[in-house]
Amino acid sequence: MTAFNDFLRAVRAPLGAITLTLLLGFLLVMMITDQPVLAYRDLLLANFDSWSNFGLFLNRAMPLALIAIGITFAFRAGVFNVGGEGQLFAGAITTTMLGVALAGLPPVLLFPIVIIGGIAAGAFLGWIPGVLKVKLGVDEVVVTLMLNTIVLLFTSYLVNQVIRDTAAYGAVSQLVPKEIWLPSLPGVPKASSGILAAVVLAVVSWVVLFRTKWGAELRAAGTNLRYAEAIGIAAGRRVIGAMLVAGGCAGLAGALYVLGIGHRFEQNFSPDYGLVALTCALLARIHPIGALFTALFYALMLNGAAYMQISTDVPRSLVDLLTGLLVLLMTARVVISRRKA
Amino acid sequence: MTDPQNILELSGIAKTFGDKVALKSIDLAVRRGEVHVICGENGAGKSTLMNILVGIHKPSGGQIRFNGQQVQISDPIAASRLGIGMVHQHFTLVPSMSVAENLFLGRHPKKFGLFSDRQAMVDRARALIEAYNFGLDPQAAISSLSVGQRQRVEILKALAFDAELLILDEPTAVLTPPEVEELLKIIATLRERGRTVLFITHKLREVKAVSDRVTVIRHGESVSIHNTADVSEADIARDMVGRDVFLVGRKGDVERSFGDAVLKLNGVTRTNAAGRRLLDAVSLEVRAGEVLGIAGVDGNGQTELAEVIAGLSTMQAGNIWFDGADISDMTVAERQALGLGFVPEDRLDRGISKTMSVAENVAATNYERANILRRGFVSSARLAEFAAEKIKEFDVRGAKPKTPIGTLSGGNMQKVVIARELEREPRLLLVSQPTRGLDIGASEFVYDRILASANAGRGVLLISSELSEIFALSDRIAVIYSGRIMAILDRADADEVTVGALMNGAGKEAA
Repeated sequence: MTAFNDFLRAVRAPLGAITLTLLLGFLLVMMITDQPVLAYRDLLLANFDSWSNFGLFLNRAMPLALIAIGITFAFRAGVFNVGGEGQLFAGAITTTMLGVALAGLPPVLLFPIVIIGGIAAGAFLGWIPGVLKVKLGVDEVVVTLMLNTIVLLFTSYLVNQVIRDTAAYGAVSQLVPKEIWLPSLPGVPKASSGILAAVVLAVVSWVVLFRTKWGAELRAAGTNLRYAEAIGIAAGRRVIGAMLVAGGCAGLAGALYVLGIGHRFEQNFSPDYGLVALTCALLARIHPIGALFTALFYALMLNGAAYMQISTDVPRSLVDLLTGLLVLLMTARVVISRRKA
Repeated sequence: MTDPQNILELSGIAKTFGDKVALKSIDLAVRRGEVHVICGENGAGKSTLMNILVGIHKPSGGQIRFNGQQVQISDPIAASRLGIGMVHQHFTLVPSMSVAENLFLGRHPKKFGLFSDRQAMVDRARALIEAYNFGLDPQAAISSLSVGQRQRVEILKALAFDAELLILDEPTAVLTPPEVEELLKIIATLRERGRTVLFITHKLREVKAVSDRVTVIRHGESVSIHNTADVSEADIARDMVGRDVFLVGRKGDVERSFGDAVLKLNGVTRTNAAGRRLLDAVSLEVRAGEVLGIAGVDGNGQTELAEVIAGLSTMQAGNIWFDGADISDMTVAERQALGLGFVPEDRLDRGISKTMSVAENVAATNYERANILRRGFVSSARLAEFAAEKIKEFDVRGAKPKTPIGTLSGGNMQKVVIARELEREPRLLLVSQPTRGLDIGASEFVYDRILASANAGRGVLLISSELSEIFALSDRIAVIYSGRIMAILDRADADEVTVGALMNGAGKEAA
């Protein structure tokens, strides 16, 4: 019962802001086009026109949700992790490399190896800024940002020089063996079942953060590090642990993308998933279940905007405007509630 | 009805926030030219009342008369137009600007009605400073001033607005003892110049030192008004708390026997990066059932001593034993497992996490001990139940288990910290500045818990810069100066003069 109330509280804030954003956005659309209703219908509902559209929508949401859930851990531990993109790429490239290199292994063995490999690569990339912050006091924002660039360029080298599929167009790798591809979601042919992992992880993350001693200690370290130290919490270890989880989640997102959606590493597979996921996590008030919902919403808007642009003369960049509005409204709400207190 | 002598009259002022009653009914009459103290415990409604007077809150009922006229104070600008000036506890100055610029912020004198006339501004600031003898440089940047000087700028700012009635909200909370003396002198000057001062405080000594009359408020009601000269500190304390207050400590006439040493420090030395000795060969021991008080002026190594014992910082030389075991290299958690309880000097810094709930703060180190885990997971029902028990046992006011602890008053936060540390039944309780910022009621409670701990056979190491506290609670008194223990005296042999001299670095022969 209290769990249900907590859940309600977690989704109430983003839902309110989203509704208001859409209303204001509608006024804008009315000014741009003669067919505002059609534009808005496409933006919001075209995702549900066919199972195929719906599947693409879920595929878009999967990496966003996983990275955002991971970022929740980092933020709760007081680490401003902007390295989601790099961690995602590390996971994706590792899974691909292992899948291509070990293609001869039986799938029962290969599948867990590539998944664990992807998670480990992401986690390793999270571990670096975590350790540097705890041991040497290096600012994590700088480290994660720099690592993003390093990883993106390194994967570019790998995909172009090492595992490039010379028969295909563009900077893409060879395919991973078909036997380890993720099955599609039952009933939704185009949707990878990776989204299920995001749903499960959202709930598990909530339990870990709010219903375990480890989670309580992590949040204590994140809200007041000196307090956490004084009551005997190994605060540094909690911070590093949170970064391992954050990186691991992003790495898993990369692995599941390769196995379920791309089936190979594509240099351009991410429309800045890492940064968009950061916004998702912040809008969800750093709550893992909230993050799942904000990720779904963002995916809806990103894909819907494409449909809208095709059918009407409303440009796709309306979405950027709407997300700006959304961020504005969410922050405005914080000020109002503060003033009441 | 109205007395022409009165500059400000309040009758039946009430204020509710939602269903929370902050003020029930306040009557107040401030005479022109007097220093009037409003005295009350934390949470009695002092701040709400002040915010009503300066127009930040609107009263839900009652009347305000200023200079005989009934007034509505709609916002702070209206208040300043009436002649009510407020000096907030937290300063509202721009650190990068000069004293003069701060004084005339938003209303610089103008040249040709357009450019600000800096010379005129500085001259007027200087005239104002000289008129009140404040000894400030009008061109000094605020950031270069001490806290006491900044407060004087705040006062001047109100005076520059021609405030007839000056309200000071707990002005001494941020000051050191010598600065407090300065402030009291300044208030006397203001009275000579015919200004009326309304002074908010919960410190009894200041009431006696500064005021002509005192109004005591309790639970949102004004309960009494006295001529300060006619009442004793104990009378005021009784009105504030609503019963007789016993801030009594250890009874000196009881023979006590102490057990073995629980905590022993031998030659503990800590230096900072520059090589200065913050702790210089500190040796002492605390026996079971004994309160050892560490007296000293702030900044003489008390913070470092507490951190070294708690395991939060390392030392360069020396050893620490706990129950005969060398704990010098142990982590904080290991020391706590052995039975060390630690109440840090600054609650907000090391004692609590403000944004987390009361329940999570009190349970933080007690999940196993208080049976809050069910198959490894936190049972939220059991967590709430445990927190509710502690809230009741330690009389934490205005708190529910889920309340963010940062919304509580200092005294109630401190109670939560003490509840958490005592829950694991420590062998030694290390308490640092336990009543700093606390009102009488809460201090009484804290004293009580400290003495009860000693009576239950725990060793207590009490670090405090309040000499009265050290004398009230300790069995032995150690004096720390510049990182060194100057002397350790039996309570019976110690008097304020001797200890005071040692605190200022007088040689050992003084003892």
